[in-house]
Amino acid sequence: MDTIFQPQIKISQILEAPPTSVIETRGLTKAYKGVHALKPLDLAVHQNSIFGFLGANGAGKTTTIKLLLGLIRPSGGTATVFGMDSVSQSIEIRSRVGYLPQEPHFYEHMTARQTLQYVARFFFKGPKKAIEERVDEMLELVDLADKANRPIKTFSGGERQRLGIAQAQVNYPDLLILDEPAASLDPIGRRDVLEVMSRLRKYSTVFYSTHILDDVQRVSDTVVILNNGELVAQGPIEELLAGSEGVVYIVHLKGDVEPTRLQVLSLPWVSGIITGHHNGKTIWQVSVTDPQTAEEQLYRLLANGPAVVTEFHRKQYELEDIFMQVIEGGQNVRK
Amino acid sequence: MSGNSAFELVSERGWRRGLSNLLNKEFAGWWKTRMWWIQCLIWVGLIGFIVGTALFGSPNSRPRLGDMVELYAIIACILPAAGVIIIMQDTLVGDKRDGTAAWIMSKPAARQAFILSKLVAYSLGVLATMVVLPGIVFYAMISIGVEATPDPWPFIASLGIIFLGFLPYLTLTLMLGSFFKSRAPVIGIPMAILFLQQYMIGLLPVLGYALPWSLFVTTANPNISAIVPALLMGQPIYSYLPLVIMAVETILFSLIAVWRFNREEF
Repeated sequence: MDTIFQPQIKISQILEAPPTSVIETRGLTKAYKGVHALKPLDLAVHQNSIFGFLGANGAGKTTTIKLLLGLIRPSGGTATVFGMDSVSQSIEIRSRVGYLPQEPHFYEHMTARQTLQYVARFFFKGPKKAIEERVDEMLELVDLADKANRPIKTFSGGERQRLGIAQAQVNYPDLLILDEPAASLDPIGRRDVLEVMSRLRKYSTVFYSTHILDDVQRVSDTVVILNNGELVAQGPIEELLAGSEGVVYIVHLKGDVEPTRLQVLSLPWVSGIITGHHNGKTIWQVSVTDPQTAEEQLYRLLANGPAVVTEFHRKQYELEDIFMQVIEGGQNVRK
Repeated sequence: MSGNSAFELVSERGWRRGLSNLLNKEFAGWWKTRMWWIQCLIWVGLIGFIVGTALFGSPNSRPRLGDMVELYAIIACILPAAGVIIIMQDTLVGDKRDGTAAWIMSKPAARQAFILSKLVAYSLGVLATMVVLPGIVFYAMISIGVEATPDPWPFIASLGIIFLGFLPYLTLTLMLGSFFKSRAPVIGIPMAILFLQQYMIGLLPVLGYALPWSLFVTTANPNISAIVPALLMGQPIYSYLPLVIMAVETILFSLIAVWRFNREEF
């Protein structure tokens, strides 16, 4: 009898499958002589995401990265990268990872080319021609081709950083971990690094730490904020930018606003109005509990009132607002 | 690692992962820099000068083979051993302090391979530049300046023993480098042992079995002959135990270095 192959998984199930986690930590902690550098951390970094790891200096960002790479041992909890344990399988993990340390250190007597060749040979035995081509490609990528044969001891901080970025990518890693990649770069260098990160998303997952909020807002799709070794906020960037206090509409009005105010406040999906005044206008911050209905009805309702609506938009938070809110307020925001 | 299909991937696994690359780098540090000829120049020059002065300094009397052998044994015991300690003190501590050890350990390289590459490359460098080449120069000089020269095979064996006598210093310094980040104890402890060992054996003769001094110079312990001079002079060797103990010390120090480096946090 002929057997007919019947798929066990439907296409819709595949499409709806949760994204694969590249990094997962559960209760990961690190303490030095009783002082907690990292408090229990639960993270999930999905494949092909650009994951921004935010925090002030000493927040625990570098500690987390070193734990993931097996450079230090956890005091508690577990971390897996590509499903492999960060302690017992760290070499296998590192064979699929590219890493840029916060302050890259290389052998000073080596040239940029020799450094990249040396790093490439941790991954590839040969052929020599292919390695040379990859090295040339990386030198071009970070704009160091003309300085390829200069010893590193003659390099500036920015050049070292760019070499660090090149050596982190020489193996076309599945996961790129960058610790403060743009910290010592000028604005053009920063822009280039962010472009490289965006380009790499197609092939790799990028996990990077920074305290430059603007960079995170420009390229990241998921953000985690650490404060004093503790995770205080995590989620997709759009959700974090929407704010932790729910959806808020900003309305500028002229004229008699009181009848409209009473009418708006009576709506079941409006949770409150904060009123302010500026240049003879009344400014409202209308908090809503049902963004969908608010989007459909709020403007129409305001426009039908006696006051003139001069401005109406949904409040957009800057990441800096969120960052300061959670750092200073000690508030936990998890999306 | 999509896009790497044109490459032959590294096949080393476990403790050997990254070893060939690390070894190439360490060998290049010895043989593709000034290191090798500076070392050759120092040790050939030093032994050539001291032995040459003793051999040809007084034209009226021709020195005896026994005197030359004892002189050579003392020079070979102390000076290159100090050189080994000086060279080794920075190899691990330097990488730890400069941050290069952390950088390399973020690549797919085993920590055991990192230590082993240094051990192998530095041992062979020391063997070539501090033992074999100066030994050949010494042999050539006494062949000219002394009537009777030692047989070549015992001489080659004595070079092996001299090398074995350096290995405890080499591995002890490497081991201390795995414990400390400061250079002071890493260089100070082996140097103290090197220069105080004859007094230590005088106080506690049993130490003659464990300290390299007894391989080169007759000690207060009547049961141990100085093996190198005895071998070169064709005299009986009372005990090979010091050789076994030196080998055990070398292995032990190396294992401790690997164990400690495995626990290093970067």
